[in-house]
Amino acid sequence: MVHLAVTGLSHRFGRQQVLRGLDLTMAAGECVVLFGDNGSGKSTLLTLLSTRFAMQKGRYLLNGLDSADSGAEIRERLVFVSHNSHLYGHLTPVENLLFFADLRRLQCSDELLRETVSAVGLGKFADRPTRWFSAGMKKRLTLARVLLAKPALLLLDEPYSALDSQGVEWLNSMLNDFLAGGGMIVMASHDPQRVAALKHRPKFLQKGSLFDSKESANC
Amino acid sequence: MLKAAYRIAWKDVVGDLRRSSSLSSMLFFAVAVLVVFQAAFEPDRQSAVKLLPGLLWATVLFTSLMGLGRVFQAEEENGAFEGLLLASVPRGAVFLGKWLGNLLLTLLVQAMILPLTMILFNVDAWHVIHLIFGVLVLGILGLTGLGVLLAAMTQAARSRETLLALLLLPLVAPLLIAGVQATAGVMVVDGHPGPWIKLLLIFDTVYLALAPWGFSWLVEE
Amino acid sequence: MNFLARIQRPLGVVALLGLAYGLWLVFNAPIDFQQGNSVRILYVHVPSAKMALFCYLLLTISSIFYLWKKSETADIIAEAAVPVGAAFTAVTLASGSIWGKPMWGTWWAWDARLTSMLVLLILYFGLMALRSSLDEPGKSAKATAILAIIGAVDLPIIHFSVVWWRTLHQPPSFGGASGTPTITGALLPPLLVMALAFICLGAYMVVVKAREVAARRQLEVLDLERMENND
Repeated sequence: MVHLAVTGLSHRFGRQQVLRGLDLTMAAGECVVLFGDNGSGKSTLLTLLSTRFAMQKGRYLLNGLDSADSGAEIRERLVFVSHNSHLYGHLTPVENLLFFADLRRLQCSDELLRETVSAVGLGKFADRPTRWFSAGMKKRLTLARVLLAKPALLLLDEPYSALDSQGVEWLNSMLNDFLAGGGMIVMASHDPQRVAALKHRPKFLQKGSLFDSKESANC
Repeated sequence: MLKAAYRIAWKDVVGDLRRSSSLSSMLFFAVAVLVVFQAAFEPDRQSAVKLLPGLLWATVLFTSLMGLGRVFQAEEENGAFEGLLLASVPRGAVFLGKWLGNLLLTLLVQAMILPLTMILFNVDAWHVIHLIFGVLVLGILGLTGLGVLLAAMTQAARSRETLLALLLLPLVAPLLIAGVQATAGVMVVDGHPGPWIKLLLIFDTVYLALAPWGFSWLVEE
Repeated sequence: MNFLARIQRPLGVVALLGLAYGLWLVFNAPIDFQQGNSVRILYVHVPSAKMALFCYLLLTISSIFYLWKKSETADIIAEAAVPVGAAFTAVTLASGSIWGKPMWGTWWAWDARLTSMLVLLILYFGLMALRSSLDEPGKSAKATAILAIIGAVDLPIIHFSVVWWRTLHQPPSFGGASGTPTITGALLPPLLVMALAFICLGAYMVVVKAREVAARRQLEVLDLERMENND
């Protein structure tokens, strides 16, 4: 059963063509890892999947919802963890998560928020402003949103950056749980070693198109 | 939609009070401006009454500019604004939230600036202070509405604070004129603030209708 | 753009001939009874004031069109209209000031029209500053278009409030509401010729500027492609 289908996706910034007629299909519980050079369009593809950019050409279906007319519904079913943590420095982790939950119209009790903060290993810091957090702690807190929102699709842009080896292990086990629950992941990475522990399908992005292997991409 | 707007405003107000950065620096900036005016004009008691509306509005405008320059500052750290736009909240609600937050903070500061101005300039208009504040509120509604939109516009610009002032000042010229005239009107017994208050209302209506629309266009990609 | 390239030269020639003929008419027009020779500057002042507003109209229409259709041509015209409009506004202010010196006795009076024109000039400069200080081309075009439309809504309010302010609050000390005399009879033909010449001049300037903007953008794209191919 196909849960995510992208067909003929093209995108340009001004006169610069970034993606050229790209196709991608995914089933529930599947993880696709995008490899590619800097500027190959990985982040653009993720941003398009997040519906933050309006689609210029092509079709995008998620769980039967078409982005052309149900953009808001698609948005509610995905979480995008980008380079930026999207955190407010003056709010505590619990308050940051509460703000996130409110924007998503999720009903979350205080206990649930605190449990989630503990689950990502930040229990001791639940009431400290996040301004003082290290990059790794911020990344963990950003990923806590996934536990809270339980999305159908998770978009990750270089999720392993800023994480130590322990953090990488923790993230992989969390992502494996997420996949086992039927979630889908599209991840951009340049580091094949760290994703090795994750059951995934690699894809190579080159000159705006997707290829199944590195060799075919370089042809 | 309203709840999301309320949440965004709450986050901004709480954040500001917690850091107490904007609020106190706006207040002390206002005091500094008033000292400058006093040194520059040296008004006696009579001329102080005539000058008060203008001094008051100039101070309001400068302090608001300062507050507006920071509206999107917290959003920019960690790219939080991107996160806000990724939520399935209507753009209008995001604007409403940002505007409400700025409105509340600005009103709070102005509520302190008004008596301060009257004390520092020895103007005895305490019996109409509620009317003067009413005029201020009317002006600030439109001022912050347009200001938040322009702040969003100049957020990514180089030397954005200067640019914000350059864009805002000509556009709020009518607001300034109407605000000063209406304030002067309520301060004297036989004043005619009526037409100027109407002009303030027109300005508020136009900008509070235009700004969310402009904001939605601006952030859409 | 090809169309613009074709009309550029004829427009320039017509503007030049029109200005020459108009100025000849102006200097042969009868001297105004009250104002003497200084009335002649009104033949520059009035058309340039009209062109300053006309450029803003062009800017507003192309801005709406850009937001609506995402047409790059509309954005190029919008970018071109701003400096041209600013130039005409500056000429209006300078000529008004020169005319005002013998009439009012001062270089500057907070006359309703002059004040509105000054605000318009600041707005034009704001538009230019906004476009040049946003780095992303799509963002700067969008922001400028929105600001232009807001300005278009604001300009009547500004004018209205300034007129109200100057007339209700402090009645002007010189003659009528703005002091500009009505022009009739023998003074009319030179004004018409000058107005037409200014329209051609304005159009010529917009065309030249638009072609420059288009060429600059083309160059940026070529630069980008060259950098990509060098990799």
